[in-house]
Amino acid sequence: MLLSTLYPLILISSLLCMSLSVASNHNIEQPLRIAVAANFTPVLKKLLIEFHQQTNINTQIISGATGALFLQIKHGAPFDIYIAADSIRPQRLEQQNLILTDSRKTYAIGQLALLSMNKKSRLSDLARPPKYFAIANPDIAPYGKAAKQTLQYLGLWQQYQHSLITGININQTFAQVRSQAVSSGLVANSQLVLNKLDGVVIPSSYHHPIQQQLVIIKNRDNIAQAKRLSQFLLSPKIQQTIVSFGYANNALLLQEKAPHKKVQQEKSNAKP
Amino acid sequence: MTILSLDFSLSYQAFNFKINQTLNLTGITGVFGHSGSGKSTLLRAIAGLEKNITGAIIFNDKTLTDTTKNLCQKPEQRNISLVFQDSRLFTHLTVRDNLKYAAKRCTNSQLNIADILKLTELEALADANVVELSSGQKQRVALARALLTEPKLLLLDEPLSALDQASKTKLLSLIVKVQQQLSLPILYVSHSLDELQQVCDNLLILSQGKAINYGNIHYTIHQLNFMSAHLPSERLIHQQTSLSLPIASTDNGQGLMVLTLAEQKILLPSLPGTFIKNQHLRCFILASDISICLSEPQNSTIVNHLSGNINAIESSTTDKATHSVLITVICSGQEFFVHISTFSQQKLALCINQQVYLQFKAGAVRTYLY
Amino acid sequence: MPSPDLLALAVTLKMAALTTVILLLIGTPLAWFLAKMTSRFKVIIEAIVALPLVLPPTVLGFYLLIAFSPQHLPGQIWQQATGQQLAFSFSAIVIGSVLYSLPFVVQPLQKAFEQLGDSVLEAGAMLGAGPIDRFFTIVLPLTKASFITAASLGFAHTVGEFGVILMIGGNIPGETRVLSIALFDHVEAFDYAKAHVLAISLLIGSMILLAGVYLLNLPHRKTRK
Repeated sequence: MLLSTLYPLILISSLLCMSLSVASNHNIEQPLRIAVAANFTPVLKKLLIEFHQQTNINTQIISGATGALFLQIKHGAPFDIYIAADSIRPQRLEQQNLILTDSRKTYAIGQLALLSMNKKSRLSDLARPPKYFAIANPDIAPYGKAAKQTLQYLGLWQQYQHSLITGININQTFAQVRSQAVSSGLVANSQLVLNKLDGVVIPSSYHHPIQQQLVIIKNRDNIAQAKRLSQFLLSPKIQQTIVSFGYANNALLLQEKAPHKKVQQEKSNAKP
Repeated sequence: MTILSLDFSLSYQAFNFKINQTLNLTGITGVFGHSGSGKSTLLRAIAGLEKNITGAIIFNDKTLTDTTKNLCQKPEQRNISLVFQDSRLFTHLTVRDNLKYAAKRCTNSQLNIADILKLTELEALADANVVELSSGQKQRVALARALLTEPKLLLLDEPLSALDQASKTKLLSLIVKVQQQLSLPILYVSHSLDELQQVCDNLLILSQGKAINYGNIHYTIHQLNFMSAHLPSERLIHQQTSLSLPIASTDNGQGLMVLTLAEQKILLPSLPGTFIKNQHLRCFILASDISICLSEPQNSTIVNHLSGNINAIESSTTDKATHSVLITVICSGQEFFVHISTFSQQKLALCINQQVYLQFKAGAVRTYLY
Repeated sequence: MPSPDLLALAVTLKMAALTTVILLLIGTPLAWFLAKMTSRFKVIIEAIVALPLVLPPTVLGFYLLIAFSPQHLPGQIWQQATGQQLAFSFSAIVIGSVLYSLPFVVQPLQKAFEQLGDSVLEAGAMLGAGPIDRFFTIVLPLTKASFITAASLGFAHTVGEFGVILMIGGNIPGETRVLSIALFDHVEAFDYAKAHVLAISLLIGSMILLAGVYLLNLPHRKTRK
């Protein structure tokens, strides 16, 4: 009899310990929690050093895939600010009324680059499809979508159909090319800069701009700090730093608001 | 007096068991039957290990099971212990710890482990690992362990079946010793009539899931003789005369023991072991080992001659091809069973009430124990 | 290892230890129930328990994320009971791990209980031991090796878990960032040096644990033969 009552007791007490350990974690003051797209994480880490010096705000980086972070925020993840690798997910969060009004801002414009590890790439290489060619998944990854638009713009999309190796995100695509598993591919220019590699930047007129946006999550404790970070990232000085990491100039975006006409035409002749 | 009243049934896919019998549990009660007769099922039901029984089991005044009252006492609360055919010792414990396991859970604690170790002759093995024991030693540990629960009823399920002959007789005499010293009622299941004949006071006979006979051991065995005579194809038992006679002399000076049958004597080879005068000896004589003479044999090497009268002549009513008869002869008030061919019966023109002489060798008087 | 990775190690060990304890507490009766069950529903329950073996972790993680979120009933019940949000908490990754590692604990135990059979338990009952008594004094000592195996597999599998925690944990340092996710982050950030340190330490740690399990099982195997 004694033992039969003991068993559930152990169960309950261990569950209790579990919730207590959670409670203790919540008692300490929370740093600013930044959910950031994996490919911007290395840049952000460098920028946060200066941010901390300026503001003395403690931060915590939660790095992940833009899509996964979006899903988590939707289901109540305790993040204060979301630095995405695209503009679709921030827009979605805005539509769902989960962000602070007017907090959605473009903090960087991604640039696409052609990378090949075994030879010096030239733009003209694109005209002849290699056996395998790596791009990110055009349906889910913003850099993949831009890669598809680029190939469509050059009228090569059909020719490339049987050569494409699509990574789930741009980091996977980069890893495939860098490890020489795939001879060449379209990756993010920022990846080349961070890893000190040479490649060819794809002219931004070949595809829609890859707008990377940030939003501040509603109903969190650290909204003021999140606003500080947003302002910091959008400040001219930091914008310049971001550009130096392989992103396009943000001012360019303002001029090129109009959508690309050439992309819709789907021309058949390549002219790099 | 210990009364066990059984009135229940249970069934599996191809097996139905049904019993309505009250047992008077004095000494050792044997349960005899062939495999599939429901012997183990009966013991398991009494122990509480059979879940699907319908009916009632009442032990003295204690209702163990009564499905009409939705009552079923848990096996561990029945104060009944069962020794299994396969010992079922706990391999993670030593001999002593196996015994301690039982003693610790015993509520009255009259017995102590040292006494039981001595009784079961396990003192030298007390700290042995149970996996290293022989089958006979294992069964002795299982018996000792069951005794230490100080049960009101001890159930033995074919305790000797896995043992060699020497271990069998050793354990059997131990069972008798235990019964006498602790005056513990025992229900002993076996398919070996020899074992049961040697130790039981009463016998319950099961066949195809039913109790077909119950009573005094000798009487019941003799009933089985008749049943065998009528149904020779069933091969129920070896027909025999089951006896319990006082010892007149343990050794007549020529290596023979003498038993008293009223004014007559029965001789058998002297037995090892210590006996006292007038102690009753359990023995049996196979019906096929006895022959009949019309006059008292004078010049024969056969030592046993008993005079008596034919009481019955039985032959199979169903099997016409059987050329033998079972003759019952009363000698000094004791029934003897003689199995002879129809040819011999006709040659001597044997008939009921005729006076005859039985003759059998000393070696035909058998005991299982010694 | 720099301190963020040590923190991830601490979270991982805490998560795996707690998960293992809970798994043993839940998995033991479940395995017992399955071993003794004769109903035809047994196969259905067995299939459910085995599901994490074949289900992509992200699928399980996705549904757990939905269930744990404050918008849905399980998450709401938790929030009302504890006052804390369930999703993205340490509790969430422990619950996720419990579900994900369940077959690794239940299956060896179920097999051990089945092999043990009823005979020694009946012997125990005949000596006056009740069901709980029999479990602790007969079943537990006789199936000790299987318990060690189950606990070690549950622990090791939890340490190596990635997909479920990625979905429901939210990668929060000190709370839900575990080694496997820290490793993934290093790879994503092209920090291959740190990734190698973590990967090799995970590899060696798991090796030692599993070798320990087989070593502990060794004498038992010998005596059985």
